[in-house]
Amino acid sequence: MLEGLVSPENLSLSSMDMSVLERLKWLRQQQQKQVVSQSSDNSPELLQILQFHESNNDELLQSTFSHFQMLGSGFGPNPNMGFGPSREAMDGCISRRSSLQMDPVDTMGFMLKNSEENRTISSKNKRKSEVKRREEEKTEKKIKVAAETESNMKGKSSMSNNTEASSDTSKETSKGASEIQKLDYIHVRSRRGQATDRHSLAERARREKISKKMKYLQDIVPGCKKVTGQAGMLDEIINYVQSLQTQVEFLSMKLAVLNSELELALHAYFTNLPVVNASKPSIMVDVPLFPLDQQGSLDLSVINLSQTTSIEAPSASWETQSRSLFNTSSLGFHY
Amino acid sequence: MASADKPINTDVPEKDVFTLHFLQSLSNLRRQNTFNSPEKTNDRVKKIKKAAYVSMARAAGGTNRLWSRALLRRAAKENSKVVRFPRRKKRVTCLRRRRSNRRDPVEEEEAERLRNLVPGGGGMETSKLMEETAHYIKCLSMQVKVMQCLVDGLAPK
Repeated sequence: MLEGLVSPENLSLSSMDMSVLERLKWLRQQQQKQVVSQSSDNSPELLQILQFHESNNDELLQSTFSHFQMLGSGFGPNPNMGFGPSREAMDGCISRRSSLQMDPVDTMGFMLKNSEENRTISSKNKRKSEVKRREEEKTEKKIKVAAETESNMKGKSSMSNNTEASSDTSKETSKGASEIQKLDYIHVRSRRGQATDRHSLAERARREKISKKMKYLQDIVPGCKKVTGQAGMLDEIINYVQSLQTQVEFLSMKLAVLNSELELALHAYFTNLPVVNASKPSIMVDVPLFPLDQQGSLDLSVINLSQTTSIEAPSASWETQSRSLFNTSSLGFHY
Repeated sequence: MASADKPINTDVPEKDVFTLHFLQSLSNLRRQNTFNSPEKTNDRVKKIKKAAYVSMARAAGGTNRLWSRALLRRAAKENSKVVRFPRRKKRVTCLRRRRSNRRDPVEEEEAERLRNLVPGGGGMETSKLMEETAHYIKCLSMQVKVMQCLVDGLAPK
């Protein structure tokens, strides 16, 4: 099933090439020594690809070189660079041309990694497949767009590629183009300029999750939309939470001061109400129906939503106040 | 981490529920004691504040939310009560910590601060923390409105 992945014309080497080639050799030695049964199904495929690569390596390089020479320009400033970085540069240019090309070398690297690390990760990968598929769609579009737009900017891009390649050796900023789907495990397509090892993928997924939730928070917290960037937003959110908490404290102080009135109201209120449960719809139904015998004649129709009801008897006033309070708190709020 | 993206659910019950719980807790305070007794205002304030938080936690969904659970547990500790919570299905916190998923140092400083603010924030991963914060904020604002209304209603005219 991996035959379809390999098409010599479309090969584009990634910057992981050096490491991949080294690994290829290493692995070859390993596998020649070890028994095949040590690893699972992937090893025969590995071997196939290894052999294929060995034979085609020269062709590969030559083809890519020719590609690059066609591009011309930008390679000038770095004549003394080693083979590796130049391949990086070429890779970048080529990858821009061929948008969604297959890349067996990267698969190699990927598969090698998989075999080296334990297959216990496979289960995690399968779970991640959903996330990755979504990423796939995103990245596919991105790569297509990138390919279109950047075919116009060949010269500049190759320049920038070279400088980047010279300055940076880490995987993170490698101009890795699209990758092949690893049919057994997760289907991954890396975005431009992002690495594809498991950890960074996990990091990326996690970061996206967090940013999504930050957006949600942004909607809730007022005044958060103006500030951009996660740090600023988090600051705003923290301030908001702190202010809410101080508000609660302040209001409880006020309530403590209003203590006596509160007590009366509550006493009256709760001796009248039946046992309270937290069911929402029943609350409003219970209140009007309850007889107010103890309070004398309180006309229920008198209870309106305003808080400044004028009632004769003081006890009744507390009662209605608390009741109207309750009404307002449930009905009068605008939210 | 690997689960599909569920829609973020931060539904908060309406104000009736909050009001009800709050008034209930206040009346409990009355019954317990000595509201009339010459306590210092500070103690009273603290009691009321605690009652407010506990009622908010209960109104907001009891033990279904991490922060409310932590709040209730904290309050119960102060009262030296033994509180039992229904077992959750998954024990996520241990696994998460071992994986040390929380990286990204810039973000984590702020997340630390948030963790200190939101009850129960210590045991959560950052993404979960965000959800809890959102719900917590909603409930807090509701509680503030309720209390404000109460205060306005009772203010001397």
